[in-house]
Amino acid sequence: MKLLDLEIITPAMKVYEGKVHSVTIPGTVGSFQVLYNHAPILSTFEIGKIIIEDEKEVKHEYATSGGTVEVLNNKILVLAEAIEAKEEIDAERALESLKRAKERIASEKKEEIDLTRAEGSLQRAINRLKIVGHSN
Amino acid sequence: MATLRDIKGRISGIKSTQQITKAMKMVAAARLRRAQENALNARPYSKKITELLNNLLSIEKNIENDLIKEREFKNIAVIVVTSDRGLCGGFNMNIIRTVEDLLKGEYSDYVSGDNLELYCIGKKGADYFSKRFNKVPGNYSGIFSHLKFDFAAKLIADLKFKFLNHEIDKIVVVYNEFKSVVTQNVRIEQLLPIKPEITTEDNKLDNVEYIYEPDKSAIINSLLPKYLNTQMWKILLESYTAELGARMTAMDMATENAKELIRSLQLTYNKIRQASITTEIIEIVSGANSLKES
Repeated sequence: MKLLDLEIITPAMKVYEGKVHSVTIPGTVGSFQVLYNHAPILSTFEIGKIIIEDEKEVKHEYATSGGTVEVLNNKILVLAEAIEAKEEIDAERALESLKRAKERIASEKKEEIDLTRAEGSLQRAINRLKIVGHSN
Repeated sequence: MATLRDIKGRISGIKSTQQITKAMKMVAAARLRRAQENALNARPYSKKITELLNNLLSIEKNIENDLIKEREFKNIAVIVVTSDRGLCGGFNMNIIRTVEDLLKGEYSDYVSGDNLELYCIGKKGADYFSKRFNKVPGNYSGIFSHLKFDFAAKLIADLKFKFLNHEIDKIVVVYNEFKSVVTQNVRIEQLLPIKPEITTEDNKLDNVEYIYEPDKSAIINSLLPKYLNTQMWKILLESYTAELGARMTAMDMATENAKELIRSLQLTYNKIRQASITTEIIEIVSGANSLKES
């Protein structure tokens, strides 16, 4: 089985670099899986789950808050604003921010910018909890 | 004339100052290494996103996005990036002087028309301008001790909101760029509207048949805000690294100066001591002589 090169970069650091069997990306139009010899693609992706199948065919799950992905000549470049491995997710913190975001959305004072921000953090929190398998 | 005791006191005073400047230099050096590492880690992301954006913009020319569209500049915002702490040489003064020049020169019409706002990042600039300038809506102090990408993203979100609401039509940033440990360059950069660098030669995206999902313009529209975030993030990292470099150099120089001062004071001390010994000997000798004569 042939392998692809994967690079995941965030503004803070390089999160992943190595050979993989496949990567599943939560694309804006729909989730898709990249395997060997995938056609060149440039796509944005949303808040969701990235699944990497590494060279030993072990699956790793990551929570992401969206970004851009480029696939060219069996090289995958994932540019994500934020990404964390399933093992790194702090369920309690996610629960807290979920609560906070819900309160903010429910509160009277609604400025447009705050609302979009609260909705974003709500979605991110839900995503994190879903990935760790927490029932909220 | 200074007495021996005065000089001794001064020497010990300078010695303790020297110890402090030495310690500050070491701390700055240690932090500098970490800051440089951070700046290095941020580079691949910013490089790739800029590359991607510029490539896309050069093949998709008629893009409709307010973030790149030039418009009449009615209101201008200047972001002033200084440090939170002093003792870093001319680091802050260079920035303040450049901003003052801008306010008096290029942007003087905006200032007199009350169409210019200052956003100060770092306590030093905030302290200076909040006293002298009445339109300082943004005042961010103490962010450098725990610099986070979220801060850059949040700041950009606020500014972008105002920009898209036509409260601000142009945003420039004045900051120190890290050239090397000893040199910093003051840079004036336009943040918004975004000025893309159109690449003409060897465009990778031109030769490859990509699948664009959802489509080119949607990708560009999603990349633009991210590009802004990384720009801001890069500027903050750059400024912090430059600050530490400047502090390290300034403290190194202070330590050297203290060393020189101690040396010259020690010399005067020795001279005075020798002089007093000589006088004492003369007194003893002349006393003995006068006894002999009588």
